[in-house]
Amino acid sequence: MKSRTDNFKSREQIIAALLWYGTWLASAVIAAGMTLDTLQPFEGQLNLGFSGYDIMKAGVALFILLPVARVALMLAIFLRERDYAHTAISALVLAIIAAGIVIGL
Amino acid sequence: MILWLFVAAFGASALGGVLGMASGIFIVPILTLLFGVDIQVAIGASIVSVIACSCGSAAPFLKGRLINIRLAIVLETATTLGAVTGVFLIGIASTSFLYGLFAAILAISAKQMLARRREVIDTSAPNAKSWGAVLRLHSSFPDHVLDRDVPYQVGRVPLGLSLMYGAGLISALLGIGSGVLKIPAMDTALRLPIKVSSATSNFMIGVTAAASAGAYFVRGDIDIGIAGPVALGSVVGALLGARLLMGLPADKLRIFFVIVLALLAIQMLVSALGVQIPGGSV
Repeated sequence: MKSRTDNFKSREQIIAALLWYGTWLASAVIAAGMTLDTLQPFEGQLNLGFSGYDIMKAGVALFILLPVARVALMLAIFLRERDYAHTAISALVLAIIAAGIVIGL
Repeated sequence: MILWLFVAAFGASALGGVLGMASGIFIVPILTLLFGVDIQVAIGASIVSVIACSCGSAAPFLKGRLINIRLAIVLETATTLGAVTGVFLIGIASTSFLYGLFAAILAISAKQMLARRREVIDTSAPNAKSWGAVLRLHSSFPDHVLDRDVPYQVGRVPLGLSLMYGAGLISALLGIGSGVLKIPAMDTALRLPIKVSSATSNFMIGVTAAASAGAYFVRGDIDIGIAGPVALGSVVGALLGARLLMGLPADKLRIFFVIVLALLAIQMLVSALGVQIPGGSV
């Protein structure tokens, strides 16, 4: 509470950094997969143990996980600020997302 | 094919980014009409691009303090719950019903935008018992035109939550970010300044879409060969669009919204009628 404005600035910058670098990582992985896929017209012939398709799939998975990681990060930030109401709300959002994935299976 | 998917997604996303909306609303029609992709496949690819756009464009809004992150997490409980409901329902709803629903929602959104052109920022004394006060959602944002921080209050949170549930549901069913539904909901129910509502809505779209995309991914319903290039094109386009948005005045932005909403409503209605003609669809 005492350094509220400082917290306010830093927490927004931490979240921004996660989303920014996460986006670049996922994009780079997809781009690598696309490149490999284009260079390798006969899929699965290359003996790498994985194809461009697999790399793209990992990139897509990274993108789906990124907002989930953002909610987890916000939970940690709210917890550090001893803002228990919003910590609980963040945990609820994570639980709902997990429930959706369980339903998907 | 992969390159053209990338280019189409890039163009759609740059346009969407200028309007502060997720490009999913353009991606689904592009994939079905131009690329002849199945609507279900288009939805799966679109929902990933929606996540990519939201995450890729959030950083400048966060640094510009336009995102109310407490409000975002509160509303995300409703949007994700709606998305999970959508994952349940997508197997039941017919394609033409979904197109028709889409057209109706776009038309309602356009009407809402026309009805309320000016921001109503509530400057009355805060009600200490309201949800906005209890959850400490009231905040301020820096206005670069006035060169000062403009305080705002968050009103009618329960109404906002129920509208967000609907937005999450539509997002999962149609593979869109539902920005067109979220932003009017935030303007009219919560009474936020438009830049805050656009930025906060865009921030929430990623989590909302991840709730349904996660389920579709583990189900194997996402075609990676389409979703990958579309997501990459979208994120690059969103980055350029977001830069343009930061300087746009609220009034012009709103007029753009109305025109785009009306055009999309007509297009979706045509699609709804089109898929009912046997063999008539592309």
